Amino acid sequence: MTHSTLEVSHLYTSFFTEHGEVRAVQDVSLAVGRGQVVGIVGESGCGKSMVARSVMGLVRKPGKIVSGRILLKGRELTSLSEQELCTIRGRDISMVFQEPMTSLNPTMRVGRQVQEVVTIHEDVPKQEARRRALEALGAVGIPEVEARYDAYPHELSGGLRQRVMIAMAMVMRPRLLIADEPTTALDATVETQIIALIKQLAETGTSVLIISHNLGVIAQLADYVYVMYAGRVVERASVLDLFDHPLHPYTRGLLGAVSSLRGQSKTLQTIPGVVPNLAHLPAGCSFAPRCDRCVARCASEQPELVTVGSGHEVRCHLAKGADAV
Amino acid sequence: MSGSLVHNLVRRLAYAFISIVGVAALVFVLLRMVPGNPVATLLGEHADNETVERISSSLGLDQPLPVQFANYVLGALHGDFGESYTLGKPVSELIGPAFLNTLWLAIAAALVAWVVGIACGLLAAIRKGTVVDRLFMGFSLLGVSLPVFMVAMLLQYLFARYLHWLPVAGITDWTGYILPAIALGWGSAGSIARLVRSSVIEVLQQDYIDTARAKGRTNTQVLVLHALRNAMLPVITLMAMQFSGLLSGAVITETIFSINGIGRLSVQAIAGRDIPLLQGTTLLCTFVIVMGNLVADLLYNVCDPRVRKGA
Repeated sequence: MTHSTLEVSHLYTSFFTEHGEVRAVQDVSLAVGRGQVVGIVGESGCGKSMVARSVMGLVRKPGKIVSGRILLKGRELTSLSEQELCTIRGRDISMVFQEPMTSLNPTMRVGRQVQEVVTIHEDVPKQEARRRALEALGAVGIPEVEARYDAYPHELSGGLRQRVMIAMAMVMRPRLLIADEPTTALDATVETQIIALIKQLAETGTSVLIISHNLGVIAQLADYVYVMYAGRVVERASVLDLFDHPLHPYTRGLLGAVSSLRGQSKTLQTIPGVVPNLAHLPAGCSFAPRCDRCVARCASEQPELVTVGSGHEVRCHLAKGADAV
Repeated sequence: MSGSLVHNLVRRLAYAFISIVGVAALVFVLLRMVPGNPVATLLGEHADNETVERISSSLGLDQPLPVQFANYVLGALHGDFGESYTLGKPVSELIGPAFLNTLWLAIAAALVAWVVGIACGLLAAIRKGTVVDRLFMGFSLLGVSLPVFMVAMLLQYLFARYLHWLPVAGITDWTGYILPAIALGWGSAGSIARLVRSSVIEVLQQDYIDTARAKGRTNTQVLVLHALRNAMLPVITLMAMQFSGLLSGAVITETIFSINGIGRLSVQAIAGRDIPLLQGTTLLCTFVIVMGNLVADLLYNVCDPRVRKGA
């Protein structure tokens, strides 16, 4: 049996705070195949970044993975020691963070920060590590790499810094790249360039897990999409299916908000209300309080993920019957 | 980049010079505004007016203030700070050895402050919220809050009088510096520990710490290679400024432990209305503090690439 690059099954990650257990990730399962780009989309606070951090083993205290399995090429990660995880992070899985302004060490030259990744994982001479860092910086389209190598982060623009972050993530040619809102802090033209760069990486065989609240970014990049709401996956489908036949009321709401911006509607469509408090989730469907199609059952019973088509699953009581579509 | 550094240095040196001349002028005027005639104090109550006037004129005290100041500055530029009224020696000869004693004390106290302060702050930060953290922070709060004279006397009682491990006061060899260094350094250690702790905790929350961990660095490597340098930036400034403070503000410690340093000399000068000597010690302390701040600024420049260009 061939393994997917990443397989997450029934992942639960919680924060144990003074106000009780905050369930940031509940029963999330997902898979990323070789060279595949998989997107996770949802509002802020829906748990999408926590899925990424769980995979990286970078959940900060008081948070921790409660249960579930995370397999990287068939190798279980959740049972590894911190020491063992250190040999995997940066080499087999790497991550690009949201804020290129603050994600680089301000007192270290950017070239050194890329070179560092090589020297952590391989016992190579300094010259060789430097050469590979330069190559990685060149590969992400940084002009005049020799000069930029010795620059400090504050001397580079946001777009260049995010390129440095990607070079850092790609220098070891990892199997999996996790990009957490990689373009959110950048302006639109730079966003387009970064998306093109990630696409190019996927074409060379790297699997990518991209996290965004921006459906446009997901539409351009992802092959397959997971929609998360309040810590749970509420819908998963191929990108075409999702955009053409969204089934969950939340997904429709998200798409509605975008299409209304494209001028098909005069008024901006929004989803009323806010994401529920993860420490006090409603007993039934967590989207029920905001849902315009909510029925009695929704308030009392948690819906299961059900398959509605090939590779299309949705967590909604209404989706089972024909009345949903 | 080095060009702007030199430019920066020249500008700061000019500011430093202006500060020193300003303080010298202020001290000069203030000391002469104090009611009473220093010569009368010097000669005692039985001196007649004629003698007082004669001595005043020989000391140049009858000349207009601006002339006196100009003479003083001209002399000071040649290393001549006048002659002490009470001790009958040139001020420069008195200040030299006293400054050396103070310097040794300041170095010893700074060593205590830096080593203890940084170690405690770092441990408290990585053991945040534990018993270790509370213990160290309580210890540092005590250091910051207890007055130096009280710490000094408690130390004298415990280690000299009760345990007989160390001399009570006076400097015969290096062991004489231990108790005064602890008394003087504890407070600084306390404030350094608190700053190191909060700075390390803040830096460890930064995004680039996550980046370093995502690269595969272990927690210890992240702390040493990525967090420490950034966390030390505000601490370096504090350390440099504290050191100049230690060099000029050890009056109480020097008095309690009978160390013939600048602080004790200043106290003697005040008691004897010895204007030239007091001017000399004050000028020296001003110089030390201005230079300390200058060094703090320059160190910050060297350590933080972000301020290097902008300034």
